[in-house]
Order: sequence, then C-alpha cells, then structure tokens
Amino acid sequence: MSLRRLRTLLQREVRATLRDPFTVAVLIAVPLAALLSFSFVLSTEVVRLRLGVLDGSASSASRRLVAELAAGGAFEPRAFATRDALEQALVGGDVSAGLVIPPDFERALQGRSPGGDAPQLQVLYDGAESVLAGNAEAFLRGIATASGAQLVRGGAPAGGVRATVRALFNPDLDGTPFMVAGTFGFVLSFLTTLITAVAVVNERLGGTFDQLQLTPASNLEILLGKLLPLGAMFAFDVVLMMGVAGLLLGVWPRGSALFFVWVSAFYVLTSLSMGLFFSATSATAAEAVQKTVLASVPLVQLSGFAFPIRNMPQPVQWVAELIPATHYIRVSRAIYLRGAGPLDLWFELLLLLGFGALLVGVSLRALSRRA
Amino acid sequence: MSGGRRFGFVGSVRALAWRERSVMRHDPAFLGVVVAQPVMMLMLLGFALSNEPANVPWAVVDRSQTALSRQLVRDVSATGYFLPPRALEGTAEGRELLARGDLLALLVIPEDFARAALRGDSEVQVLLDGADPLSAARIGGIVSSVAAQFDTTRRALPAREAPRSFEIRGRFWFNPTLEDRDFFLAALAGMLLTNLCLSVTALGLVGERESGTYEQTLSLPTRPLEIVLGKLLPYVGVSYGVLAIAVLGAGLVFGIWPRGSWLALLALTLPFVLASLAIGVLVSALARSSAQAVFISVFFILPSMILSGVLLPYRLMPDGVREVGAILPLRWYQIGLRRIVSRGGGFEEVWLPMLALTAQFAVLLLLVRWRMKPRLG
Repeated sequence: MSLRRLRTLLQREVRATLRDPFTVAVLIAVPLAALLSFSFVLSTEVVRLRLGVLDGSASSASRRLVAELAAGGAFEPRAFATRDALEQALVGGDVSAGLVIPPDFERALQGRSPGGDAPQLQVLYDGAESVLAGNAEAFLRGIATASGAQLVRGGAPAGGVRATVRALFNPDLDGTPFMVAGTFGFVLSFLTTLITAVAVVNERLGGTFDQLQLTPASNLEILLGKLLPLGAMFAFDVVLMMGVAGLLLGVWPRGSALFFVWVSAFYVLTSLSMGLFFSATSATAAEAVQKTVLASVPLVQLSGFAFPIRNMPQPVQWVAELIPATHYIRVSRAIYLRGAGPLDLWFELLLLLGFGALLVGVSLRALSRRA
Repeated sequence: MSGGRRFGFVGSVRALAWRERSVMRHDPAFLGVVVAQPVMMLMLLGFALSNEPANVPWAVVDRSQTALSRQLVRDVSATGYFLPPRALEGTAEGRELLARGDLLALLVIPEDFARAALRGDSEVQVLLDGADPLSAARIGGIVSSVAAQFDTTRRALPAREAPRSFEIRGRFWFNPTLEDRDFFLAALAGMLLTNLCLSVTALGLVGERESGTYEQTLSLPTRPLEIVLGKLLPYVGVSYGVLAIAVLGAGLVFGIWPRGSWLALLALTLPFVLASLAIGVLVSALARSSAQAVFISVFFILPSMILSGVLLPYRLMPDGVREVGAILPLRWYQIGLRRIVSRGGGFEEVWLPMLALTAQFAVLLLLVRWRMKPRLG
C-alpha cells in the first residue's frame, strides 16, 4: 500500500470521470429528478374528490349536508338525477364516490325519537382506487358525523367518544419529508450500484483494468483508486440533495446533518461494493446492468421506500430485513423526521456496518478471483 | 419505389420482422425479462405490498382504569390492524417510544373518562408518529371511527342502537374489502409492458449500432421507417404475450379477472405498446452506448411508475405534478386498464384514454422520423 501510487490512481480516476459529461450529468440530474418527482406523490389528503350526489330528498337538510361536504374543498359534488346515471359515472371513473340521500332524509332526521331508526345515507366508493377510497371513507365519515350533530337541532346525546388526534413530528401528515428521506436511500442504493457496476465492467472490457494490473499498484490500491472518487462524488450528491430538499421543499433534517452525512457516506461504501460485486460477476456491461436493475425491484418495493414493511406478510418481512437499503432508509427517516441520534439508532447502525463489511469482503474476493 | 428495390414496403417490413424474431429467440437475457419479471412482479404485488395498516405497534396510557376504558382498548384491538397494546405509565415514556419509532400510535385515556362518558362528553387523545404519514392518517381514522362508534352506555343498549344523528352505509364498489392487491394487479400489465417495451427496444437498437449490424441493415435497400417498423412488429407480438401472462397470472393465482370487455382490453393495449416502443426507439437514438441507453430508459421507467398512478393514486398528486404525469403513456393506459379490469367498462368508457395514447404515438412517430436519420459511422 503506497499513498503515492494511490494518489496517482485517484487523479486518473477523477480525470476520467469528469471527462465524460454523460456520467457527470447523471450524477447531478438523477438525484435531483428523483427528489422532486418522489417528494410530491405521497398524499394523505382528500382534495377535489369528485363526489356524485343523488339527492332523493331535495330538502334543505340534504342541501346543507352537501354544501358542508363541498365547503372544505375536499369534495366536488356533482348532482345526478338517477341511480343509473350515478352508477354509470362510477364505472367510467368520472366520480370517485357516490352519495345517495334517501327521499325521507329530512323527515327521518327531524321526526325521529331517540333510539329510533336513524336516517341512512348510502355512499358508494370507487374501490378500484383503493388508497383514494380509503382516505375518502375516513374523511367523509368524520365530516358527516360532525355536520350530523349540527343538522339535528337540540342535539341528541352523542353516544360516541371524541378522539383528538395529533401527529407528532409532522402535524399536517405531509408526505414530502417521508419521501425525501426515503429518496436518499433510493438514489444511494440504485444509482451508486448502477454507476459502479457499469464503470468497472467497461474498464475490464476496455482492457484498461489489465493494464493497471501490470503497473506496480496492488489490487487493493486499484480498487480504492476506483472507489474513493466515486464515493466522494456520491457524498457530494448527498449534500446536494440535502440542500435542494431544504431550500426548495423546506425539508431539513431534524437531527444532526453532519451525522446524516457520515451515515450516508458509509452507506455509499456498501452500495459501491454491491456494484463491484455485480461487475465482477458479469461478462458484459449489459449483464451487469440487468443484474442491477433486477436487484432494484425488491429495493424499491420491499425496502419500505414506498410501502411499509410492517404491512407485509411475515416471511416477506424477513426478506426485507436482509436488504441493506431497508436499514439505511429506516435510519435516514429517523434522522430526518424524528431527529434521532446515534444512541437511538445504535442497532440499525451496527447492522449497516455488518452489511458493509460483508459486501466489501465478498466483492473484493469476487474481483480478485476475476483478476 | 426506386428501381433497385425488389420488395415493396410490406415485404421489407416482413423480412426485417422475421430477422428480429430469430434474434430474440436466441437471447436468454431477453427471455428472462419476458418471463421472470412478470412472475416476480405478480408475487410482489399480489402477496407482499399493501398500504393497508397491519401489525401496528401501539401503546395505551389508561389513567381511567375502568371497565369502560378497557372496553375501548379492546374495541380498537378488535379492528385487527394492531399488535397487542403495550400498557404504559405515562405519556413521556410513550413519546420517547414514538420518537424511537417503536410505536406508531399512543392512546391516552384521561382520568375522568368514565365520569365524562356518563355526561356524554368523553374524550381521548391519540398521538401518532407523523414520520410515517400515510399509515398515521389511516390509523388516526381507524381509532377515531372506533371511538365515534363506541357506545359509552354499552351495558344499557346494544351497539347497533346507539343514538346517533344519522347513519352512513358505505360500500366499496369493485373491491368490497378494499384490497390494495386489486389496485396493483389491475395495472400490472402496464408496469410490465413499460419495462419490456422501453428497456428491451432501447438496448436492442443501441446494441446493434455498437456491433455494426445496424449499418448492415442500413445498407439494404430499405428505408429507415421500414427498419423501425420491422424491428417493432415482433415486440408488439411479445407484448401481447406479456399481457396474457399478466391477465392470466392475476386471474389464476389471485382470481382477479378483467370484468369488462376483453376486446376493448386488446384494443387499448395496441396504441400503448406502440407509444412505449416509440419511446424506446427515441432513447436508442439519443444514447451513444448501451450503458447510456440503460440509464436513460431506467430513469424514464421509474418516474413512469411513480407519476402515472399504477402504485399511488394520481388524483392525490398536487397540481402540476399531476399534469406532468399526463405526458406519460402509462398514465392513460392505467386509467383505461382500471376502467376495464376493475370496473367492468368497455369501449364506451375507454375511448378517451385510447385517443390520448394514439395521439402520443403519432407525436412520438414524428419525433422518431426526425431523429432516426440514417447515420453511418
């Protein structure tokens, strides 16, 4: 191990990378594009949901109820004259929910004795959009219960319990910080692995790897010369993404930014090793890419990036725990959203360390066997 | 036609299509994409992924310690979304657990809960981990609705006859138990076809340019448009094969068969496949090497998956983002798919998505003609 040789190799690698404008563009554009497109898409809100209304009662009570549903901007009511027309609109996806108010709504509301039959509203949700329907259902139930109490003047004793719901760390249940913190995991796992795999395979195919091995540099030096500049660039990506997320989206880490950069830099090493492993076990660049892309499917779907691991069946949860990205995303969200520190996260950090050591070892072995 | 051409337009396209077919048949990686990916996606989307809360870790601070408060906790547990609750002494401990991510929800029942219930004025507090907003919103809704329906005079009246202002009877059409599986699998064909059409075409064309066979084809008495069509036709065939795998897989394994017109499904798929293939051709024209082609197509596929609405409902996306997603063919295809597969629609319901897809294909074809000038060297 000689520092002078390593420095020469580092210089070579930095020059080679910066000379290729495509790689530089990818390194800057992809993280930003991922950040901006992912951060907006998760929403728990119900906004401008088209609600078909079949008002059989056409009374002041029913009109008041519909007006109240429209008031918050959550629903856009559209009147339908017949049940057929409403059902047709549901099939066509023109409305997301249908509210059917019975003809005797007002009478039943005012004339009923306590304990008698409550007037019934029927709501048809478009279950084809399951998330949308679930959100709409919860929202509609809440708003109708609230306005129901007002509609019945005098107020029959409410039987239920009021629940004051408060979300810590994110009172508006805004999806953006959640997705921003996850996007770090996505970019640092997928892009890192892909770029490394392609770079190393191309070098091997171009014969420059063999040339390097003829120089006095040892395998380890060649590898470090390859990985350190890439790692530095991804560390730069982390800082860039943090800045853009903060300035453009207003999402700053709640915990220590420095701690986050350190954890991320270490995790980049893990992903780089994964890329090395794919490149060492592939004959062509296309094969390395295919392996990386195939590995990215569980990365996106099982790592908790988009879907909570908790909701998966038990065996799938075990598989998810075996993916390093799962743990990095967990740590990243803890630091970003809950302001966690090293002491809260020691177990996850230990796991990441273990994964890193394992992958570096495996990829080094695979590469030296190849060489 | 120029004098040197022995075959007409159709003849050339057919010959090139036949050549392309034999190339495909001998490519194991291609077969892997066509067969392995559908199976993997089917299993993941069918078995593994769900937005429906499950195994939610939660805790209760019960300061009331009465039969009524314990009943409320039992009622919340009985919804089936939760793990057995942890009993805590104070909210400080609960907040700490929330901060560490060990809890998703904390239910705080005040001391005077039972007494307030007699007055019909009881209240509980629910603290959620907002770090996971989608789950938190659902859980908040679940707990609130259990609480709202909780009959504080339980022993006097059966739950059904609890006095309430009016009753809402909700019904989920097309998906009575509101399973995310139905939502994902309805759009499965769209995800698979996007992957197939984009990555395979782009890689194939660039690979040919790299190995020089594209130049050979150019030296034949064929025109660029014929070459492109000849290359794309076999992929249309493969795409219908993948559509069959997606539909049969979802049907045989999960019992989710298309409810609407099969004919409309087949017709809707054609403009989508053509548009996606055209994007693949464009990517190949922009890329200088296969590695670049892969980068460009992968980073087109990913936003497609996220912004089109196959995994998350596009209607919840903010203004601007929603409109950007409308540029993607996958957006319109998944709208059409859901209308046919989930809601049982036919041609009448999907003419708009079909029109949009056809228009996208037309625009892309113009772009391809403009970019794909025969280039040698």
